[in-house]
Amino acid sequence: MATFFEQLINGLTIGSFYALVALGYSMVFGVMKLINFAHGDLFALGSYLGYTLLIASSSWVTVHFGLWGGMAIAMLFAFTGIGLAGVLMERVAYRPVYPAGRLSLVVSALGMSIFLQNGIMAIWGSRPQAYPAAVVPSTRFSLLGLPVTSLQVVILLISFTLMLAIWFIVEKTTFGAAIRATALDRSTATLMGIDVRVVIFFIFALGPALGGIAGVMNGMYYRAISFNMGWTYGLKAFTATILGGIGNIPGAMIGGLLLGLMESLFAGYVSGAWKDVFVFFILIVVLIWRPTGLLGEKTAEKV
Amino acid sequence: MGITENILKRIGLGKPSGDKPVTFWSRNRGWLLLAITGAVFAAYPFLPFISDYWIDIAFFVGVYALLGLSLNIVLGEVGLFDLGHTAFYAIGAYVTAVLNTTLHIPIIVLLPLSALVAGGFAYLVTSPVIHLKGDYLCIVTIGIGEIVRLTMINNPFNLTGGPNGINGIGGPNLLGLAINSSTQFYFYTWIIIGVIVFGLIRLQHSRIGRAWNYIREDATAAEASGVDVRSYKLLAFVLGAALAGVAGNLYASKQMSISPGSFTFIESSLLFCIVLLGGLGSIPGSILGAAVVVVFPEVFRQFASYRLLFFGLALMLMMIFRPGGMWPRKREGTGLDGLGIRGLPKNDEDLILLGKPDPAMIKPATTATVRGVRLPPVTVPMDEGMLLQTHGVTLKFGGLTAVNNFDLNVRTGKITSLIGPNGAGKTTLFNMITGIYKPTSGKINFLGRDITNLKPHTIISYGIARTFQNIRLFPSLTCIENIMSGPHCHARSGTWAAVMHTVAEVREERDIVATAAYRLDQVGLWKYRNELAKNLPYGKQRYLEIARALATAPHLLILDEPSSGLNDRESEDLMVLLQALVTEGFTLLLIEHDMQVVMGISDWVAVMDMGQKIAEGLPKDIYNNQRVIEAYLGKEDD
Amino acid sequence: MRKTVSVLLVCMLATVLFLSGCAKKTGDTGPIQIALQAPITGDYAYEGQMAKQSVEVATELINKAGGVLERQIAVTVVDDGSNPKDSAIAAQKAVSLKVVAVIGSYGSSVTEPAEDIYEKNKMVSVGYGCTALRLTVDKKPNYFFRTCGRDDAQGLFFAKYAVETMGAKLIAIMHDNSTFAKGVAEEAKKALQPYVDAGKCKIVYYDAVTPGEKDFSAAVTKLRNTNPDVWYYTGYYTEAGLLVRQARDAGLTCPFIGGNAAINDDFIKIAGIDVAKGCLMTQEPLVTDVTTAISEQFRTLYKEKFGDVPSSPWPVYAADALYAIVGAIKNANSIESDAIATAMHTNMTGVEGVTGAIKFTAIGDREDVPYKMYEVTADGKYVVHQP
Repeated sequence: MATFFEQLINGLTIGSFYALVALGYSMVFGVMKLINFAHGDLFALGSYLGYTLLIASSSWVTVHFGLWGGMAIAMLFAFTGIGLAGVLMERVAYRPVYPAGRLSLVVSALGMSIFLQNGIMAIWGSRPQAYPAAVVPSTRFSLLGLPVTSLQVVILLISFTLMLAIWFIVEKTTFGAAIRATALDRSTATLMGIDVRVVIFFIFALGPALGGIAGVMNGMYYRAISFNMGWTYGLKAFTATILGGIGNIPGAMIGGLLLGLMESLFAGYVSGAWKDVFVFFILIVVLIWRPTGLLGEKTAEKV
Repeated sequence: MGITENILKRIGLGKPSGDKPVTFWSRNRGWLLLAITGAVFAAYPFLPFISDYWIDIAFFVGVYALLGLSLNIVLGEVGLFDLGHTAFYAIGAYVTAVLNTTLHIPIIVLLPLSALVAGGFAYLVTSPVIHLKGDYLCIVTIGIGEIVRLTMINNPFNLTGGPNGINGIGGPNLLGLAINSSTQFYFYTWIIIGVIVFGLIRLQHSRIGRAWNYIREDATAAEASGVDVRSYKLLAFVLGAALAGVAGNLYASKQMSISPGSFTFIESSLLFCIVLLGGLGSIPGSILGAAVVVVFPEVFRQFASYRLLFFGLALMLMMIFRPGGMWPRKREGTGLDGLGIRGLPKNDEDLILLGKPDPAMIKPATTATVRGVRLPPVTVPMDEGMLLQTHGVTLKFGGLTAVNNFDLNVRTGKITSLIGPNGAGKTTLFNMITGIYKPTSGKINFLGRDITNLKPHTIISYGIARTFQNIRLFPSLTCIENIMSGPHCHARSGTWAAVMHTVAEVREERDIVATAAYRLDQVGLWKYRNELAKNLPYGKQRYLEIARALATAPHLLILDEPSSGLNDRESEDLMVLLQALVTEGFTLLLIEHDMQVVMGISDWVAVMDMGQKIAEGLPKDIYNNQRVIEAYLGKEDD
Repeated sequence: MRKTVSVLLVCMLATVLFLSGCAKKTGDTGPIQIALQAPITGDYAYEGQMAKQSVEVATELINKAGGVLERQIAVTVVDDGSNPKDSAIAAQKAVSLKVVAVIGSYGSSVTEPAEDIYEKNKMVSVGYGCTALRLTVDKKPNYFFRTCGRDDAQGLFFAKYAVETMGAKLIAIMHDNSTFAKGVAEEAKKALQPYVDAGKCKIVYYDAVTPGEKDFSAAVTKLRNTNPDVWYYTGYYTEAGLLVRQARDAGLTCPFIGGNAAINDDFIKIAGIDVAKGCLMTQEPLVTDVTTAISEQFRTLYKEKFGDVPSSPWPVYAADALYAIVGAIKNANSIESDAIATAMHTNMTGVEGVTGAIKFTAIGDREDVPYKMYEVTADGKYVVHQP
């Protein structure tokens, strides 16, 4: 039984990374209907940015701000950096392609993903790097009899707070309504006086920025980072978004958590080798049962 | 028109039209281009600076061209978002590998077998999910791709060799000639591709190809025009999978060993890029796209670890500067010849006359078949003179009752109008009659047959056609192509007939064009026949939709607010047209708001408010009916 | 018009390509051309790029010592992208360059299609990172050799060590479903079978993790609950490092043994020295342990050019492959493929590489490849473990 709870916590931890990446992903996807394959690579870039900051400053940051302070600064650095990268990416690579339609955007996104991955490899090398133990907080303690690290707890807390914050912004504020309106019908939103450019700027800044923070946390938690680490997370983010329901931002979070749980439990109890098969199989079954995802709205098409 | 001319026209390299000087070059353009391509292709392996390396590259371009073409059917023609296409490629390769190494079945036999198994597999896995929309289908295809790859890695029943894959696969053997050199594989592969391309071009310009395009443009409208959307989507997947299976067979027999590492999600994405780079729905585009994707990384070999960086950059630049693809499918301006249909009368008038329907066709049918469609036996008693009757039809959406116990009577040969305030449920009733919604209770009878729970395309084929409140045309297709969806459901030719151009198929295609031409002319739009539908002004689009409905040769024509958006003059013209249709033998059922139209031409009026029938009768009686007035205008304050 | 222009452009580009790809054949004078097929891009880029560096160092050393047959050697790199399809293309490219011999490649399923092409073209190729049995045992090649070991030797070594030296009763084997890792795992399982039949031990865990992922908490929890006496992981060093750390965090205390894809300086970096310390690895002799003159020179020059010795053993085998080819050319006194192949099979006297003497069996495997158990020391070095 204790094992079950352990696996549960494992699942929640993985899941919260997926959820955080999926969150940023689904913001872009929901509003722009753009499958941003490069999102995973932005996540990886965030990880590398955090790593560079902590290493380059030779722990000056850690010395002056402590381990937690160092982590906070690294996250801030990644947040800003990747936010900028996201906006730049939209401006340069995606905006010129909007008139051509969704499918062309997918190719642009794939091209951007390949470009980013190989760019990271060109800058930081093909060897995996690791966040040194010196910059990572590592106190551990026992929570209800289960071994838990402080980092794990902090990450879960930060993830949930961010998710809650985004949910609040999107569902409860006027600007959030503007975002949702743009997602549903961009031209009408413009006619209603919503400055769609601001909305787009916001989601392309915030979405990737969230991915950047997730990257730093991921790097600290697992310590190893490599130039192609983003690919899997990008795919899982897409899966989580669809599982939750397109356009439903809380749905993406739940999708991510569920994904992590399913993976963990299946790998723990049945077989690690078949776990991805199982997860995709469940996904397909869920979609057959609920064609618009778990929380997606059954939008009746006006005929 | 010669075969060559046809082919070139279809791939967009046809004769230049207009006042250009006729030179030797332009007159014989078709032959010359074909001859040059053929010569280059045949001479390629023997050119002095072409080593086996470059011949192998050409082989791989071929394999990827075939994969691109196979995905093009699903993605380009039908518009289904498939990012897991390597699953079928993998199945073709593994079937070849396993059966050849264990049972020593010859590769050449395994070529069609791989296609069959891959196609069958596609049928099985996509059937349960084919109804999913857009991105949801996308993630399912990704899932299928990953499931296949991971299953191969995990080596179930010790069949697939696990991550090592299978080695020792033989090469093809054509009647004694063993194919094992690069040059031999080159010719072998590209000749197979040539045959397949030939078939695909034929398919593209057949009823099947057009049906696929209709689905891509607007699936609901396609269904409402009589296209069995589900079957055609499945057909696209099965065919696409079969071709990918052939590619798998070719790959396996050349490489002699295969492993799961060749069938990753990245490969699927690459195939996606190939189709997009070439141009959606474009056959030469897919081949060109494959050439770019295979050759580009080779060209940039000297940049070592940066070559993929440049490749990513190139993809992005391509989409910025040429998002339509390198060789986009040309529709506009190819003219009727671009349809690729043989045996059309040279003269426009003759064509239109050819399409003039036999009056007997339109009178309500009581015989067992109409135009080749076998109808179920007449079983339901109907009131005399009635064409369509609904009995107690109700539709509830959760707690909301949209239509409540509605009895509609449509008399043969008359114009019936259904009127009522906005939101009364009129369109919902029409949607139930045409099969888009299923009634919660009640029955709908047409010509003595119960059509209550049938699918829309079946109902269309029995003789009901409709137009939509918000015009639903196929925007990127030409007007004539739009109308050609009408006769679709009455034609019988399948894939085989289309590829082989059987006598029956050629005749059917001619009839389809002729019928479409007639109807187009009837609504006065013949001169727009080669224009894209989306370029037409609103009023003309309405007429186009009506023409499309007429082309299905229905007994009953259902029009949803046909005069909305038309000015007074246009409305008058519409009334004239509608009356002419009745004379021709059609029965009309309208939803209308324009009282001029309702009073002017209706024989019978039914009034609907809040889902219920509140009045029914002759137009002049309805006009003065107190309840009707209240429904529209509200009650007077006492 | 646009289309015609595009088609013309493609034709022009193609012409440029053909001309650029013209062969630089090895003539009677001038440098001897050798090709290195390696993963410069793709998932194994780190190995490929280090292999390239190793071969560069070896080339410089050989040329400084006078080359062979009074000629210098020149090495061209062809990238095989870490995947089988690009490997076939790369092999064809190497063949078209008409080199004297090829060093390549890394990854058995990547090497396989290349090997077939080299065999067909009667070109000598020497693999440096491909350990699957079938490359030699099944195919019985004439022109293919390898300077690295074979999966069965490693598996056998582990099995013997675990049961006889360590006395383990409950054994856990984990891999990552890649050709290499699964290969070694399967061989280890096979080698353990006689012990299992004799009742001396049991395999309590045999499963795979997914490479490229980072969270193995589910797997290590499951592993921990089987209570193994020893845990053998045959996958790559990134996952190995993550696995060990997560396992220790989950409370697994049994000894960890990695295969020769896990032995790498980055393993220590990723796991952290406190966790990596004491871990064992099955491995052919490391370059740091061999004390020949050549290995000294190699280490010195490599450190000079690139900062530190290569972090994994495979690039060193690439250098060995070059030494093997050059040595065979010398002994055969010819640059013809058949002569080189014959020399490699029968006459490798005096041929020494970075890891010592190089000799090949009749089917091209390296002869007498010993395995040792290495241990990570507290100061982050790999030394031979004294049980």
